[in-house]
Amino acid sequence: MSALTFTVKQATAQRVDMSPLTCQLLKGLSIAEIAAIELQNGKRKLRVDALFDISGSDTQIIFIKNSFDKLDFIAKDLQEGSVTIEGDAGAYLAMGMESGSVMVNGNVGLYAACEMKNGLLTVNGNAGDFLGAALPGNKKGMKGGTIIIKGNVGQRAGDHMRRGTLLIEGNAGDYCGSRMVAGTIAVMGSTGRFLGYAMQRGTLLLWQQPTLSATFNDCGSHTLAFLPILFKSFAKLDSKFADATQAFDRVQRFGGDMAEKGRAEVLVKL
Amino acid sequence: MLIKLTGGTVYDPASGIDGQVQNLYVQDGRFVKQPAADVKIDKEYDLKGKVVMSGAIDMHTHIGGGKGNIARMLIPEDHRKDPVHRSDITRSGCGHAMPSTFATGYRYAEMGYTAGFEPAILPVNARQAHMEMADIPILDKGGYVMLGSDDYLLRMLTAKKDQKAINDYVAWTMNAAKAIGVKVVNPGGINAFKFNQRKLELDEQNAHYGVSPRDILQVLATAVKEIGVKHPLHVHGCNLGVPGNLGTTLDTIQGIGGLPMHLTHIQFHSYGTEGDFKFSSGGAAIAEAINKNKNITADVGQILFGQTITASGDNMRQHANHGFANPNKWVCMDIECDAGCGVVPFKYRDQNFVNALQWAIGLEIFLLVDDPWRVFLTTDHPNGAPFTTYPHLIRLLMDKSFRNDMLSTIHPEAQKMTTLASIDREYSLQEIAILTRAGAAKLVGLDDRGSLGEGAWADITVYTDNADREKMFEKPDYVFKDGELVVVDGEVVHTKWGTTHIVRPDWDNSVEKGLEKYFNRFMTMKVGNFKISDDEMTEDGRGSLTTHSLNSVS
Repeated sequence: MSALTFTVKQATAQRVDMSPLTCQLLKGLSIAEIAAIELQNGKRKLRVDALFDISGSDTQIIFIKNSFDKLDFIAKDLQEGSVTIEGDAGAYLAMGMESGSVMVNGNVGLYAACEMKNGLLTVNGNAGDFLGAALPGNKKGMKGGTIIIKGNVGQRAGDHMRRGTLLIEGNAGDYCGSRMVAGTIAVMGSTGRFLGYAMQRGTLLLWQQPTLSATFNDCGSHTLAFLPILFKSFAKLDSKFADATQAFDRVQRFGGDMAEKGRAEVLVKL
Repeated sequence: MLIKLTGGTVYDPASGIDGQVQNLYVQDGRFVKQPAADVKIDKEYDLKGKVVMSGAIDMHTHIGGGKGNIARMLIPEDHRKDPVHRSDITRSGCGHAMPSTFATGYRYAEMGYTAGFEPAILPVNARQAHMEMADIPILDKGGYVMLGSDDYLLRMLTAKKDQKAINDYVAWTMNAAKAIGVKVVNPGGINAFKFNQRKLELDEQNAHYGVSPRDILQVLATAVKEIGVKHPLHVHGCNLGVPGNLGTTLDTIQGIGGLPMHLTHIQFHSYGTEGDFKFSSGGAAIAEAINKNKNITADVGQILFGQTITASGDNMRQHANHGFANPNKWVCMDIECDAGCGVVPFKYRDQNFVNALQWAIGLEIFLLVDDPWRVFLTTDHPNGAPFTTYPHLIRLLMDKSFRNDMLSTIHPEAQKMTTLASIDREYSLQEIAILTRAGAAKLVGLDDRGSLGEGAWADITVYTDNADREKMFEKPDYVFKDGELVVVDGEVVHTKWGTTHIVRPDWDNSVEKGLEKYFNRFMTMKVGNFKISDDEMTEDGRGSLTTHSLNSVS
């Protein structure tokens, strides 16, 4: 069986809700049935075959080709299989994902992997604001899994993050790790203002010196034995984080945010 | 247009009709006598074998005012889970615990309700509350204006102003806020909270004003009676939710000295302190007190299990309960020295001892109060449960075996602490019609509503009789509002705008002198802007005002 492939015929002016097209929801459906599914497109409904050319039949391996930045909710609540997106993805990519893997060649919009529970998301381009965050008003962001972003991320990455690993090869915007409850965010590039704003617990691992607010205290430099173990856990990932030359165990440690619980740490490579 | 409703089994307690097969005639929105044989019937509905009641009235439901919007903002997850799509005739909305205004109107109508009364309109927020309720389609609405923790009244009491001055102030405020009743919430307690008091007993003094809740209840209940308002003082008592508040409630009933008083969501005020967990049912004692004191009416405020959100003016008690917030977020605030507000999301669980017993206490009160004209069916929406649970609640009241099945699934210790299993009473259709229609209309003081008699407005609900009362009451065959067919088979087929029910008690103009000075000194708006004019309610072309009669004042 070859991968089920959706190729966009022509980009739409309005946004498209792609949530019906996940591996678990398409399981056991014929191509004709899939073609007849209606997607919300702005205020209209659009049949799948009106938007996409469909080929292949393996619903556990989905390809979206020629994708564009208005395809929202791709791989929402994904429970199994893999979704590969060639092109850009819209907002809420892999929202609430439970298992499986999602891979994007282009850039992704707002709220990518928000409230993700498990699985792997890899983005070769940039990600928008609120990566791995909680939906507005909700109390818990990403709860598990791994996110690899090879480009840059917008503001509020890991907002309300609860658990899991967020690996950013490029730069992070303002408020990175804000209101974080627990988990790990690693940033190889630069970070913006208000790093770790109202962070309760969790770890921010940085390659470059950040600008920290006054509510983070310098706890001195340390050699931490857990860092080699952490880097080893990245070894199998398709990422710069797997590169042994990037690893280190000597860090400057900052504790904060003292305006909150203050049990979080910012570790900066020395 | 002359409509004939043929052969339905009519339950109309207001006219003393209990399950008789009758034809009803409606012309221009009201019931009329059987016309002469040669008069042409424009439209006939065959209701043979169907149950016919007037449109139901919810006399205590939080559907307007600022706290509703705070509740909506606080729980976006609840709204995401329950979207309502637009149709050709209805508008979109969302929300389970605190639905949007449009969804509120449609869902009430789809259950056969044609009126709802907002029980906590702060005078200073009344304009917003009425504007919000103006966006609720189909339903008639109205509100009780909230007094008792406002600084102006407390200053009057401290200054020992006479009852006449207070009557004028109450009547003036009711007119200014376009209300049909007066409510008091944790009398003086919301104010005392600002002076760092965290609880206030019935005879405890406000630290600043030196006024006790008992004083406030006494003057307000007297004022409501003396200005002729039919709806008795609507009281949310002291110590809501506190184990042992049973004593406070009984004391409140005794202390009012025979004045008419409505005790709202009384379930939350009927707790004892017996048993291993120091929490027990006061349902029987409260029901006995209501049975004995004919001046007292009560609505239950039944809780039902599931996610909801509690929105109350009682910021003192809401602050005390914020630790139970689920999801863990809450709001408490003061509102312009008039009153306060507390919003706490809540999840009632049947395996939680306290919640399970609260559920049983509410049902005990329903079943042990003898006179159905003095007890009312509410969940204190959304505080005990969203109003959409009413059909389930009706089934609990009408079906003993169903009730006992449900009872056997709740927390075992709670089962031991309630006498519910031994109560055999099952409500009849006529009694349900009293609780939700005739009795509610009478209590609120509505002329020509809640009745199927000649001259009354034709708000009608038609059900198919079904032994499963939940199924029966959640999906009426037809609902008519003012003689217009709005719902068929539980779905809105036509929308219209209801009226706003008010009263206009008299007051002495001199009251404005003192108020003007006070407003200029302390308030965020001038007296002239504070008063809501009739035009504001009606000039958009869809709102209207219906003024109801007062008791004659000697």
